[in-house]
Amino acid sequence: MAAVAARYDELQALGVDVISVSVDSIFTHKMWNDHELTKMVDGGIPWMMATDSAGNVGKVYGVYDEDSGVELRGRFIIDPDGVIQAAEIMTPPVGRNLDETIRQIQAFQLVRETGGAEATPAEWQPGKPTLKPGPELVGQVWKVWKPE
Amino acid sequence: MITAKVGKAAPDFGAPAYKEGAFTSVQLSDYVKKGWTLLCFYPGDFTYV
Repeated sequence: MAAVAARYDELQALGVDVISVSVDSIFTHKMWNDHELTKMVDGGIPWMMATDSAGNVGKVYGVYDEDSGVELRGRFIIDPDGVIQAAEIMTPPVGRNLDETIRQIQAFQLVRETGGAEATPAEWQPGKPTLKPGPELVGQVWKVWKPE
Repeated sequence: MITAKVGKAAPDFGAPAYKEGAFTSVQLSDYVKKGWTLLCFYPGDFTYV
């Protein structure tokens, strides 16, 4: 979560807010934030740290592991219409890549801003060419995009 | 039970929460009204990764 907190200003600039969820109590959240996370990131966690003690939220999102009684490492990008545009679920030992999360947010925002008139090809980064889906692009993608 | 699916509406939920020194509560639908939301689950406080 410290890795997300370190990029929070960037996320806020993109109009994104964060909610984090684990099975820990709000009291444990406070202890973790105050005694460890504040030593990793100035100010600690600036968003709602939610408690899902029975795993009910995690079950709905498909991230609650019944065997261990904890949530897997899950990440969902939800647009302003409340639609889940992207999801990533990992077992606990591997951490997140915020560069990729932010890249996906920027890509979904571009698609939304263009009303779906533009799509982003594989490996797309902000500023790179997009694709304009339509009949004239069929069989012609090679002219405008290829893997680098 | 409604389950979360990519491309479909995110199931709403409410939960107790801690934020910047205060015990409070969070409702996903309040966030959706304001913009984009990054919803992150993790195995537990004080875990290593």
